Amino acid sequence: MTGENKKGSEQSRREFLRTTTALAGAAMVGLPAHEAAAGKKHPKRGGTIRFGMRDDSVGLDTHRNFIYYVSQPMAGLTGGLLDFNEKMEPVAAVAKEWDASADLKTWTFKLKSGVEYHNGETIDAESVKWNIERILDPKIGHSFNRSALTDVERVTVDDKLTVRFHLREPNAAFDTNVIYYPVNLIAPGSADKADTHPVSCGPFKFKSWKRFDTCELVRFENFYETDSEGNSLPYLDGMIGKPKKEDRVRLTALRTNEVDLIDNMAYADAPNFEKEHGKSFNTWKVSQLGTAFIAFNLKNGPFSAKDNPDAHMLRMAAAHAIDHEGIHEVVFNKQGHIAKGFYGEASPWHGKDITPWPAFDPDKAKALRKKAKGGDAKLLIIANDSFPYMQQSGELAHAMLKDAGFDVTFEIHPTPVVQDKYNKGTFDIDSSANSYRIDPDGWFSRSILSTAPETIRRHGYKNEQVDKLILAAKVEKDKAKRRQMYADVDTLVNKDLPLIYTYFIPGLQAGTKRIQGYKPAFTGPFNYAGGGLRTAWIE
Amino acid sequence: MTELPASKLAVFADLPALPGRRKRLVAGVSRAWYELRKSRTAFIGFWMLVVLFSACIATPWIATHDPIKQSYRERLAPPSEKHFLGTDRMGRDIYSRLLWGGRRLVTIALLAVTFGLSLGIPYGVLSGYFGGKVDTVAMRVVDGLLAFPGLLLYLLIVTLAREWKLEGIYNDLILVFALGFAFTPEVARLSRGTTLAEKQKEYVEASRAIGDGSFSIALKQILPNIISPLIVNATVRLGYVILIIAALSFLGLGTPPPTPDWGSDLSAARDYMETAPLIAAFPGIAICYTVLAFNLFGDGLRDILDPRLAER
Amino acid sequence: MLAYFIRRVFYLVPVLLVLTMVVFTFVEMLPGNIIDTLVGTEGVNDPEVRKILEKEYGLDQPVYVRYVKWLGRAVQFDFGKSLVTRRPVAVELLQGIPATMYLAIVGISLSMLIAVPLGTIAAVKRNTPIDYAAQVTSLIGISIPEFWFAILCVLFFALYLGWLPSSGFVSPFVDFWGSLKFLILPAAAIGFRQAAYTTRLTRSSMLDEMNKEYVDTARSLGLAERKVIFKYTLRNAMIPTITISGLQLANLLGGTVVLETIFAWPGIGRAIYEAIIQRDYPLIQAGVLVLGVIVVSMNLLVDMTYRLLNPRVKFA
Repeated sequence: MTGENKKGSEQSRREFLRTTTALAGAAMVGLPAHEAAAGKKHPKRGGTIRFGMRDDSVGLDTHRNFIYYVSQPMAGLTGGLLDFNEKMEPVAAVAKEWDASADLKTWTFKLKSGVEYHNGETIDAESVKWNIERILDPKIGHSFNRSALTDVERVTVDDKLTVRFHLREPNAAFDTNVIYYPVNLIAPGSADKADTHPVSCGPFKFKSWKRFDTCELVRFENFYETDSEGNSLPYLDGMIGKPKKEDRVRLTALRTNEVDLIDNMAYADAPNFEKEHGKSFNTWKVSQLGTAFIAFNLKNGPFSAKDNPDAHMLRMAAAHAIDHEGIHEVVFNKQGHIAKGFYGEASPWHGKDITPWPAFDPDKAKALRKKAKGGDAKLLIIANDSFPYMQQSGELAHAMLKDAGFDVTFEIHPTPVVQDKYNKGTFDIDSSANSYRIDPDGWFSRSILSTAPETIRRHGYKNEQVDKLILAAKVEKDKAKRRQMYADVDTLVNKDLPLIYTYFIPGLQAGTKRIQGYKPAFTGPFNYAGGGLRTAWIE
Repeated sequence: MTELPASKLAVFADLPALPGRRKRLVAGVSRAWYELRKSRTAFIGFWMLVVLFSACIATPWIATHDPIKQSYRERLAPPSEKHFLGTDRMGRDIYSRLLWGGRRLVTIALLAVTFGLSLGIPYGVLSGYFGGKVDTVAMRVVDGLLAFPGLLLYLLIVTLAREWKLEGIYNDLILVFALGFAFTPEVARLSRGTTLAEKQKEYVEASRAIGDGSFSIALKQILPNIISPLIVNATVRLGYVILIIAALSFLGLGTPPPTPDWGSDLSAARDYMETAPLIAAFPGIAICYTVLAFNLFGDGLRDILDPRLAER
Repeated sequence: MLAYFIRRVFYLVPVLLVLTMVVFTFVEMLPGNIIDTLVGTEGVNDPEVRKILEKEYGLDQPVYVRYVKWLGRAVQFDFGKSLVTRRPVAVELLQGIPATMYLAIVGISLSMLIAVPLGTIAAVKRNTPIDYAAQVTSLIGISIPEFWFAILCVLFFALYLGWLPSSGFVSPFVDFWGSLKFLILPAAAIGFRQAAYTTRLTRSSMLDEMNKEYVDTARSLGLAERKVIFKYTLRNAMIPTITISGLQLANLLGGTVVLETIFAWPGIGRAIYEAIIQRDYPLIQAGVLVLGVIVVSMNLLVDMTYRLLNPRVKFA
């Protein structure tokens, strides 16, 4: 990223900050923008928000565990070198400015001075280095956290406030990998208590955690971010995360005022709720929690070119059998949008001219299946049990493939079994999804590129042209050009069909009218620069 | 009167195997029928079960749709002439799903309980009959399994069976083995206890004196006499197994769709409990009905078969 | 008597050994392991890192070695750390078991509040419509799928009537009265179910007692029927009811996983269930062992009480 670019993003962040705090609250209640800008509602300090969430962290060490930035209260605790803004673009956080060398192999981050961890330790370059090394330790760092740093060869410290990342391969978008999600910073002095009392540098600090019950966070008084008037953020005194797994109970808890805010409303309830309770509650649409897809096993079996010369034809037959509108209707209750590529319209990475997957055409599907070798093979569809939409998409895909004459069975399994099936290749079709990636490289280099370990392990897709594009995009500095390259990759994916994109997973959050100035980013997180719970207050 | 198979009633009537069997059998059947009518709960349960089993047997003829055929354009339809109970979230006919699901569920429950009995009874009877060290070791194993509190044994076994499932073995069969196996220790302990009591009785001593072999005594003489408490236990167990399957569905360990399954259907209908409550109501009521029928009947049977209570 | 008790306690050792072996075997047979869980749905499952982690968690050793090592530590009450939360297993158990105990004890008490009057009425009005109604009502309790009943309760009492909170947990040591309102719904859901067994038992033991000589004697002495029933009969009839409730209580410790999930109750059932799904071996093993100990001790306690109260049963 060039200095100019970076300045631009910094500026847009400032601008954004100036207006959001006033805007966000007003926009929710439908006031015209200028009225909000005129400052009709002024943020108030204080108040604690009770947030009913579907999930909970499994453990407290934010390096060792995957702290999902949606639906896990602990995400309010985490902070890092960079933040993202409402559009999911990287902006300054602990680092004030950053720059890449001409060969894109060395990235230098200059830290703000006087920024602290929750325990008062100063965040300096040495501590950043220590954090990166801790995450990279395979015995400690969670595989997802580590995967953001796979390119890092070593980290050096220039001076107290300057830290340098030396990469193995050039990377034009490395900065997106040191955003607090997932590369968060913890205080080195707190490492031995990381499993019981985590100390990070996000907007809220840890107070207590009771598994399956409560996660209590309180305001971090020395958080680095301020609003346009220089008031320190967040406005809230704290947040209490209440994991309530059962959708119906979570919604009831909101309606009976036991919590102020909930996430992941059941798709069946969403349209009705907005209609019937829109007057007493605010709702916020999340347009792309992630991207759902149906992946084929190209490593072995009837969909693999290794075992079946007609593998591609068979995948085409399956693709023609999939009715995306049906999934739209049944799984998501007509919420959100059908996916033709990895990025939806709200994303800055949305590709406009992607050629979509084969259209729904049951007759063609049947004909192709009959013609292709292996069309009568017994097929197994699997889905992970953690997410209802994966199961329901799988269930629907099962029905649709059955309609086209495929001999399919469907199974739902917990994560360890699904992982085991990936490792052994004992599945044919996988109803899965991937959470939103801030930079496209995070999806394409990890899950489409033929040399990536996950590609090899899960579906085994290989296309030289695709590989070339992904590798070229990784070192392309021009954002528009990169976007086009990834769109081209998606076009090829839609043609080769290692997987069929199905859906941008939507979400709906709802809260009481007392909550002002709150809005999740379009991918769902509540902790981001210039918005979310950082700028929320309670009337 | 004809609905109850005579072979079962012979068992209910607590008859030792003696000459003049047929005559005793007829007498037994009429005695059982008399007792059944006397116990109001058993009588209600009995007729509820008659309706249930008739529906299960008649399913292929009275179901109107393919239970797994989805047509999502017609999803969440209210009850109508075409779909008696409406359609579910995938547009499948709820009425047909209930019938096929019930047939499947009742079969699984029956097979699982039978499997548990057929493992547990020989285990318990032989252990009790031989006594001594064999009994001690055998019962420690049973006690170890019974020390699993509540659902945990079921959770472990079903998780294991479901995830470890061998290719080619039908999923439902796995459920039968898992649920049956989890029932085994209870059966073993119950049959061992009654065997110990029976062992002391005169007729066993008599058989021994005649020179019958141990196995022959254990199987021929003791077995028929300990079976009535087991029948009661098994009947109530049938209902329990159905509830366990429902609970496992809620926990995500149930039968994967689209197989018609009351538990999974009820669990999946949770999302629609406010917007389309009927979808959840039908499988829920079906489960209640069936379990209640087994419980009423089993409860009544206990009255009939427990002579102490029957005297009143 | 004391000798019998001691013998019974020794007898528990092999029982618990069997229990731990069964758990170890079952868990070992589950496909995938903790490392697959830790990777989650988004992470990279790298074979080399896997090896490092398997070594770190001691999974590279054969199962019997792990079992013996675990057993050696377990007898010293060292259950190790949860592989998922990384906190000592004892901490997880100490959070979960009291919460579930609290729920189970109040649930069982509620079930007795329902069952004893219902069973008594059924016995006194034996073979009348009241008797049948009482029996059917109690049986309906165990015939409803638990999770459906629980959610219906939430919708009715929390949402529709607004009387009670939908879910959540407050420790009674922090705020006793405050904790009660969170407790009522899940405890009532338990009570309604368990009442089926206890009603039945109360009814039959009441019938037993009412046929005994002392009742006739009391009647012939001119004591009021009400007094006979409540003062003498019911008191004696309660003995089996209470003992059975003890057994139910122990059994509930692993049986409330569904209710804990729905009511967001941080109990041990849910913790062990999640541990099975996540392959958190130390937590599964310790959890099942500790609950197993509670179950067998409770059984022993009930057995001893029963023998003490019924001198006819020999201490064989």
